[in-house]
Amino acid sequence: MANVIIAAYNLKKYFPVGGFLFSSKQTIKAVDDVSIKIKENEVVGLVGETGCGKTTLGKLLIRLIEPTAGEIFFDVPEEIIVEYEEALKNKDTKKIEKISKRYSFLNKKGGELRRMRRYMNIVFQDPYSSLNPRMLVKDIIAEPIISTGYASKKEAEELVFKLLEEVGLTPEFAFRYPHELSGGQRQRVALARGISTLPKFLVLDEPTSALDVSIQAQILNLINEIRKKYSITILFISHNISVVHYMSDRIAVMYAGKIVEEGYKNSIIFDPKHPYSKALISSIPRPEPMREKIIINLQGEIPNLINPPKGCRFHPRCPVAFEECGWTADEVFQDIEYIIMRRYAEQFNGIKRIYIEDDFTISVEYEGKNLIEEKLKEVLNKEKQELRSLISIKNIKSESTKIKIELYKFVEPEMYKSKDGINVRCLLYREKK
Amino acid sequence: MSKNIGLIGRRNYLLKQNPRIEELKISFKIFFTNPTAVAGFVITLLYFIDIILVQFFPSFIGISDPNRYIYNFNNPVPLPPSSSHWCGTTAGGIDLCDAIIKSIRIDLIYSLFIVIVGAIIGLLLGLVSGYLGGIFDEILMRITDIFFSIPYLVLAIAILFVLGVSLENIAFSLIIVWWPLYARYARAQTLSIKQMTFIESAKASGTRDLMIMFKHIVPNVLPPIFVQISLDLGTVVGVFATLAFIGFSPTANIPELGYLTSLGLNYISIAPWSVIIPGLVITVFALAVNLMGDGLRDVIDPKRRSV
Repeated sequence: MANVIIAAYNLKKYFPVGGFLFSSKQTIKAVDDVSIKIKENEVVGLVGETGCGKTTLGKLLIRLIEPTAGEIFFDVPEEIIVEYEEALKNKDTKKIEKISKRYSFLNKKGGELRRMRRYMNIVFQDPYSSLNPRMLVKDIIAEPIISTGYASKKEAEELVFKLLEEVGLTPEFAFRYPHELSGGQRQRVALARGISTLPKFLVLDEPTSALDVSIQAQILNLINEIRKKYSITILFISHNISVVHYMSDRIAVMYAGKIVEEGYKNSIIFDPKHPYSKALISSIPRPEPMREKIIINLQGEIPNLINPPKGCRFHPRCPVAFEECGWTADEVFQDIEYIIMRRYAEQFNGIKRIYIEDDFTISVEYEGKNLIEEKLKEVLNKEKQELRSLISIKNIKSESTKIKIELYKFVEPEMYKSKDGINVRCLLYREKK
Repeated sequence: MSKNIGLIGRRNYLLKQNPRIEELKISFKIFFTNPTAVAGFVITLLYFIDIILVQFFPSFIGISDPNRYIYNFNNPVPLPPSSSHWCGTTAGGIDLCDAIIKSIRIDLIYSLFIVIVGAIIGLLLGLVSGYLGGIFDEILMRITDIFFSIPYLVLAIAILFVLGVSLENIAFSLIIVWWPLYARYARAQTLSIKQMTFIESAKASGTRDLMIMFKHIVPNVLPPIFVQISLDLGTVVGVFATLAFIGFSPTANIPELGYLTSLGLNYISIAPWSVIIPGLVITVFALAVNLMGDGLRDVIDPKRRSV
């Protein structure tokens, strides 16, 4: 059986907010509970908006930054992974610990980790800052070879010329400084450095987005050639879905620190399941001017990752969100306040105050007996189409001088299996009991 | 095949145009288009030529004993500048020209020593604290705060009182006062370079922290530190002379500019040249080094380089 190059489970990275002395307990949840598995010789594309945690995930997988929680395996036989997943499912802590102890990538330290770095590398987005301006190209490329102990200094020199040839540069480039190269040439140097130790796993973090279009294609083809020649497993991070489609075998879509959908590239590109992927993929320009296009325009903004939305993180922007998607009282409260205090203010002048009772109840206090309850019900029903949060209202009860608005409790979505081998994190696809 | 091209290409390329030499050419071009910087450079150079001559070929410029002043007790009252004494004489009948030429050596060598040792200590501490961050960084920065909160001359005098009076102790006390400046500066530079992606890619390549510091960060921190050294040298010469002037020069008769200036102090109302001329020598040096430093700052400014 083939090895699994990277298997990560429940990976979390929370960055603390604030400085040294006044640090609060708040954290930015850049990557939250992500599991990803990449098999040998596979290219996995990771797409998502800016700031959704793609790059953080890429860096976590090769331990450029340490995860807050979670487990990573690197280059482990598939049996072990199957065994581990089973243990996770059955919550067999003894077995989990046993496997972790033996195979976990997170247990590697010091010299062992440095030697393992031979098998993985990363190529960054911006070739202008990823090369040291005061080092010669040959030293830049030779650095990983020497520091991981892949070859001696002398052999490294020879390897550098071979690698330059490999990425389509002439040997003279070895004695130049980065500022003497163009963007495309720099990215070739960065790539040569990335493959200099013949790694098994390479993270390409938007390798082409800083280049102009004509050079992008060259670099992509170069990556493909090299990948086939040395059979390198790749995590391809990009926000350009067309590029990811061209490069990868499988695609994972990320939104606000979570992977929301994952599967084979054609099933995802031609029939996305998650509402977010649908919107994302509908935005790709296609070279068919006559075809009717339906572009789904998302409302709202990328959520704040310090306090991400409860339940499904996409629910505030989701066009098909329903009762249990993750609405909480403070979201609904804002909309109800807007209706009562501003939009229909003249009808509700008997109302004294509105407040949040607990996570799923909102109370409205009123004076007099002028059929406020009926009116409120009517208005809320009418506004459901525009203000989606009102969907989550379960019932409206009257109690002496106040009205209690109760909400549905939300359900945290998990990865559900859908057809075409797609895994999707959306309640629409959960198995009916 | 690739082997041959590699080695031959390497040699040919190095012979034809070494990028380091090209870089140097640009640096010279930027520096020498700035007239004030060139003036500063020339004056500084003259001072250093003076040091070399006094140290190695004293008889060449007619100095019989470079290590002490020659008194002329036949005529101990200061004489104005004349054809026999170009700069006049000061108390004890010491010829000022002769004395100044001798004195520059000690002031400059000690100041250079102070600045360079201070810069090395500061660079290392600033580098480590900027790179590692955390509690070490916090402690070091608070220590530098303490140093900055006390006027440096007062602190140097306090240290000198404890250590006792000698030229070495003046140097030592000034190093203690001076390193925090460089530590701050190196730390700030390190912090900005630490954020660059090439540091991250070095980490991804398994480079050790020590190697990252010395191979990636130091070469990028050094140029601004050099500029700072050249700017500081003028100040330190002044401070060194000041300490000697107010009486921290050990025994009399060591040729040192501050002490030389203090000799004429009693005669300042009748023989002002005996104070003004040695003082001017210090001031001119400080000015020249500053002008040169400004020119150097232009040299390392990437905006100027790209034009």
